[in-house]
Amino acid sequence: MSTRFKEAFQEFWRLNVSKIGVVFLTVLVILSIYVVVSYPLDFGVRYWNNPLYWADYPKSAPPSWVNYFSNEKIPEHYTFSSIKPSNTLLTESGIRLIYLFKLDFQADKTPTFLSLTVKNVTYYDKPVIIRLNVTRPDGKNIELYRYTVPAPYVDESPPYKRFYDQSKRISLTGDLSVASILARFLSREYNVTIKPSEVNSIGQHKIIFSIPKGDTQFTVLKGDYTFYIIVDTYDSRDSVGEVKLVVGGDVYGFMGTDSLGRDLSVGLLFGFPIALFIGIVTSTITTLLGAGLGIMGGYIGGKLDEVIQRTADFVNNIPLLPLLIFLAFILGQNLWIIVFLLVVFGWPTLTIIVRSMVLQLKSGQFIEAAIAIGAPRWWIMFRHIFPQVAPFIFAQLIFFTPTFILLEAALSFLGLGDPTMPTWGQILEYGFRSGGIYVGLWWWIIPPGLLIIWTAITFVLIALGMEPVVNPRLRRMK
Amino acid sequence: MLMILLELNQLKLYYTTIRGVVRAVDNVDLNVEAGEAVGLVGESGCGKTSMANAIIKMLPNNVALYEGRIILDGLNIVDLPEDEVRRKVRWRQISIVFQGAMNVLNPVIKVGHQVAEPLIIHGEMDRDEAYKIAREKMKLVGLHEEVFNRYPHELSGGMKQRVVIAMALVMNPKIVILDEPTSALDVSIQAQIMNLLKKLKRELNISMIFITHDIALASDISDKIAVMYAGQIVEIGSAEQVLISPKHPYTQKLLKATPKLTGEEKPEFIPGTPPDLVNPPSGCRFHPRCPYVMDICREREPRRFEPEKGQKTMCWLYGGET
Repeated sequence: MSTRFKEAFQEFWRLNVSKIGVVFLTVLVILSIYVVVSYPLDFGVRYWNNPLYWADYPKSAPPSWVNYFSNEKIPEHYTFSSIKPSNTLLTESGIRLIYLFKLDFQADKTPTFLSLTVKNVTYYDKPVIIRLNVTRPDGKNIELYRYTVPAPYVDESPPYKRFYDQSKRISLTGDLSVASILARFLSREYNVTIKPSEVNSIGQHKIIFSIPKGDTQFTVLKGDYTFYIIVDTYDSRDSVGEVKLVVGGDVYGFMGTDSLGRDLSVGLLFGFPIALFIGIVTSTITTLLGAGLGIMGGYIGGKLDEVIQRTADFVNNIPLLPLLIFLAFILGQNLWIIVFLLVVFGWPTLTIIVRSMVLQLKSGQFIEAAIAIGAPRWWIMFRHIFPQVAPFIFAQLIFFTPTFILLEAALSFLGLGDPTMPTWGQILEYGFRSGGIYVGLWWWIIPPGLLIIWTAITFVLIALGMEPVVNPRLRRMK
Repeated sequence: MLMILLELNQLKLYYTTIRGVVRAVDNVDLNVEAGEAVGLVGESGCGKTSMANAIIKMLPNNVALYEGRIILDGLNIVDLPEDEVRRKVRWRQISIVFQGAMNVLNPVIKVGHQVAEPLIIHGEMDRDEAYKIAREKMKLVGLHEEVFNRYPHELSGGMKQRVVIAMALVMNPKIVILDEPTSALDVSIQAQIMNLLKKLKRELNISMIFITHDIALASDISDKIAVMYAGQIVEIGSAEQVLISPKHPYTQKLLKATPKLTGEEKPEFIPGTPPDLVNPPSGCRFHPRCPYVMDICREREPRRFEPEKGQKTMCWLYGGET
């Protein structure tokens, strides 16, 4: 057996397609293992489909490497966070914590938003006051924001803990108090009269990062910005867990983001193990079931065969996709149910083919001889019939894999995927549904499509390499 | 010496076909003694292989009638349930060398394993022991040790035939049925296999049922020869009796149809065509082709007469008065 396997492998390895297929498969497997090891299992629910998690990411941002191909430099995405103040000052009322973030801003466009997040605030006496100031490259200083942490409740006793469960995110973009501060700043410094509501509609972040040119025009102000987050505390035990300042860019990461701000590279990576899982698990179960039923039906024959074949004919001839849509709708959208449905509708083809092969084999004299020896049915099926159809079944196993990956993608694309975990099909689907394709968000549509094709091709290449092993006639021709 | 191992009594095996019931084996009586080789001779389609299959109860799906008695060790195989036949009879007591060794071996399994397979299936021993015995038997039939790990397509026809014989011997059965063991081989290999069979018969003292259409070949090994015609054994006797003084006209004709090496004699042929087993001739089944046909032959099926001690024949010529 082992020499047979070795020969088969040599035959397989002789072809270049097999080598490419194996290299591709290795990459797929390594990426999948990486994801399985490093991602939490509830990634889909906890992060991917949780809009809060993606609030501080730029929306519909292309990958950052597009900057290399464009004349106009698009702002990058900057996230500053700190758990320790860069400076502490003693004032008459208490301790002042100062967090300092410096940003060398050189893009040709203003950032897309500005937000401040604080986490795990504890105070004992009076509510902590948080302020955000910015010093611009032109030396002008703006006191942007002032926030007082919620006061104690009626029957609450110190220490008062705030923002432990859910961090406090303040979006300066869209904040009216910031808008009126900026309106005052513009009239004071540049003599530009503009209403706070107009500032709000232009965008607070734009005003901060630019100088007015005329009444409604603004040009980007490049240079060093320094953001100060000043926290005034009134008790020596007061503390702030973490402060985070996000200067929203318009490009993000290696793969860009979708319209919810989700980092596509993360979602696409998570798609690897799922695609492999669906492809391999479904095709394995389908092949085992299909081949098992085919061998049993073909060899045992009679009523059993009749039942199996008529069921196979029936399942094989009802339109698959409408039924899948219908059943996924009824049974729910769960990965296991999808695998189950794919298996249920996948086995008949193989059963029909294997049965016809077995019918031919079973009339062979060596089967008659095996019966005469006294071999029981299962022995004959396992030891005498299975080895003869095994190469075909093995090739089918590999050929089925891309089929099921594509089918799952198709189901996901129709909105019938498992919503608790991102798959490539689902990312594509959301891209279509939310109009990403019509706006031309290519980084959202092309990569998942290519990945689906690439995975499918990997298995097709391996199956092509298997061909001469399975079909000895091709072997001799080469 | 005169211990009857296997006794067939009024054995019948009929098949259903679209044309009607085929009487492939019809009222066959046959005794096989220990260490004896019985040659079963007859033309194609006369029921030789059906009889072999009937003995080990390897029946096709379209059996219409299977009755009579096959007594082996006090058990009647005809009445024995399939499962017990499988466990107690096949290969343990009676093994068979099928027609056409080329196709009997599974092409994807090593021949050594196939020889050992009966032992493994019957659960008598573990694989290593079974392999050891298989190697011994393969050596016994004159196969080189390295053949053990080969696949069937790597062997010649004669080697395959030896493998199949080794396979039949692996469980030390009392009786081996050899169904045309040499018909697919050329004459020189045929001689080798016949010598091997004779050697095995001598050394292992096993009984054989040697099925062939070649009466000369049967005479080479058989102690007793049974001539089959249209599903019936029309003549049975010791090899000398049947060959030297054949009683049934069919046997006589058959012997005359065999070409001789010496002499000017031309082989004769038997006129007419083999009978249709769906609709066999009335009376004696040979009567349409028989040169000595009498009225009674057309009307009544002949009983079994014993014109010479130990030589029985179904022919009215020896029925005398009735």
